[in-house]
Amino acid sequence: MFQNRAEALALALPAAFFAAAVFLMPVAILLSDGFRNPVGGWTISAYTDFFADPLNRTVFLRTLRLGAIVTVVSAVLGYAAAFAIVNLEPGTKGKMTGLVVLPLMISPVARTYAWIVILGRTGIVNQALQLVGLTDAPLRILFSETAVFVGLLQLFLPLMIISLISALENMPKDAVPAARVLGANWFQVFWKVILPLTKEGLVIGGTLVFTGSLTAYITPAILGGSKVLMLETLLYQQVSVSNNFVSASVIAFILIVMSFAANILLKRVATARNKQRVPQ
Amino acid sequence: MKKVILASGAALMLTMGAAQAQEKTLTISVYAFAQDEFKQLVYDPFEKICGCKLVVETGNSVERLAKLEANKANPMVDMAVVSMADALAASRAGLIDKVDTAKLSNFNKIYDVAKDPNGDGMSVGYTFYATSIAYRSDKMKIESWADLLKPEYASHIAWPNVTTNQGPPALYMLGLALGKDTPDLAAPIEAVGEKKGEIVTFYEKSSQLVQLMQQEEIWAAPIGRFSWAPFTKLDMPIAWANPKEGQTGGMNVMVVTKGSKNRELALQFMDFWLSTDTQTKLAEKLIDSPANKEVKLSDAIANNLTYGEETAKSLKLIPSAVALDNRAGWVKTWNEKVGQ
Repeated sequence: MFQNRAEALALALPAAFFAAAVFLMPVAILLSDGFRNPVGGWTISAYTDFFADPLNRTVFLRTLRLGAIVTVVSAVLGYAAAFAIVNLEPGTKGKMTGLVVLPLMISPVARTYAWIVILGRTGIVNQALQLVGLTDAPLRILFSETAVFVGLLQLFLPLMIISLISALENMPKDAVPAARVLGANWFQVFWKVILPLTKEGLVIGGTLVFTGSLTAYITPAILGGSKVLMLETLLYQQVSVSNNFVSASVIAFILIVMSFAANILLKRVATARNKQRVPQ
Repeated sequence: MKKVILASGAALMLTMGAAQAQEKTLTISVYAFAQDEFKQLVYDPFEKICGCKLVVETGNSVERLAKLEANKANPMVDMAVVSMADALAASRAGLIDKVDTAKLSNFNKIYDVAKDPNGDGMSVGYTFYATSIAYRSDKMKIESWADLLKPEYASHIAWPNVTTNQGPPALYMLGLALGKDTPDLAAPIEAVGEKKGEIVTFYEKSSQLVQLMQQEEIWAAPIGRFSWAPFTKLDMPIAWANPKEGQTGGMNVMVVTKGSKNRELALQFMDFWLSTDTQTKLAEKLIDSPANKEVKLSDAIANNLTYGEETAKSLKLIPSAVALDNRAGWVKTWNEKVGQ
């Protein structure tokens, strides 16, 4: 299309300049604060200090744990839902996909506030538990890791389902029947046929859900509060309460590293399985 | 193309002309709270009197203090309202000047405790509030701050996080109740830490508490009187505790920034805010309890505020210097005992 590479590059220049000026540079300046030595030069002492504090370690591990659990559970539920939706009649499929997307159109604040009512002591979950006799007194679910988990799962599950729906749709239609004919049970069908063929969707969905869970603010702030601090709520506290921008910059950097690491890890898992299948 | 350039040039000149006509501008820095009412009752009427333009910057005190500090060499803000302790912090950092109270015609009308809260002449109190416990009178009886931590109550209370304005005063009162009121608040923080599993939440925004109370998630929480009004509208028996150790609270003060180019205007604005008329209007809307002793309120209004010199004097306030020198230590101890 272009006569030479230079012309193409020239066209990309304004966008590249814009991205560099309003995104890359400010981010670099922000993140460099965490490595700046107050007396001059560079240091990683802000990072060693951060991890030396037991509270920060607890928050870091909690964020990692909740992110991982939300991602795994949403993958399990996501496959089931996506598989069911893909096999529907075209008309119904569109409606069901619409229903999956619908929560994404409602503000996370409204959705999270609804959970306060649902998970409360007098909420529907506790009423149901008491009705079937699973508990005598109402359980305290709000302001616990369980509440944050439920909130995050509901928030990000649609992203996983949508990624998996498009992956499953791109899968050859006769792959599953062929495997069945050749005597594979459903577990083998999933593990050896569906999973390898949809891994791209899983990597995209997994990255979206994991990164989303790491960086969500409203849900952990409202459902967990200061009793269940996550990195994002800790970051807010550092900026707006303690005015500690160095520590906030450290947390921001950790969050970015965690997001990239999750993406690389998921991709590696996917390609590792791929290589196994290639006949030597 | 030429036409476009001409038109935009003309537009630019018009705006510049408008800006020059509006010569006097006063920039104030205030809490992001009840701004619609403040605009109607304070800002708009003042703009009419002074013929000037009021620029309002809002935010929590940490953000606003950080901004004052960042613009120290070339101050953007002319006057600010902050807490007593933050006023002392600003004074120590050399961000504010002495208030020329001779230019405040309403100065002698304010309560003595508000005239110079930090004793350094750098601030004037304009409102104060009591902090006590809002509680379900049908579920519990509160006679002491320590009652909140009783085994039968602890799993039904919310406690203010140490980083909020209500946190340290509530801990201070708990310390008094426990008979261990050292400035480091070690004993009360430890006591709260022992119950951290049971306490429903360590709240950061008092607005959240109304919903938790309504849902019976909590029965009690230490709160500032300024957030009391919504609780009275719930269809529940909720009472304001009068613990035997007394009530605590805080005072908000006005300060003038060092190097402000609009000092006279800032003082004129402060005087307007302290006037009997303005303070009465703000009190009647239940926004700020008055510091002006000439303000007369009906019982119904007074009951929802912190009203009267006796009340003001009886509040057990943490001295600003104690708060400032211990703040970092409180947060550290809290994170060790409660945060994890």
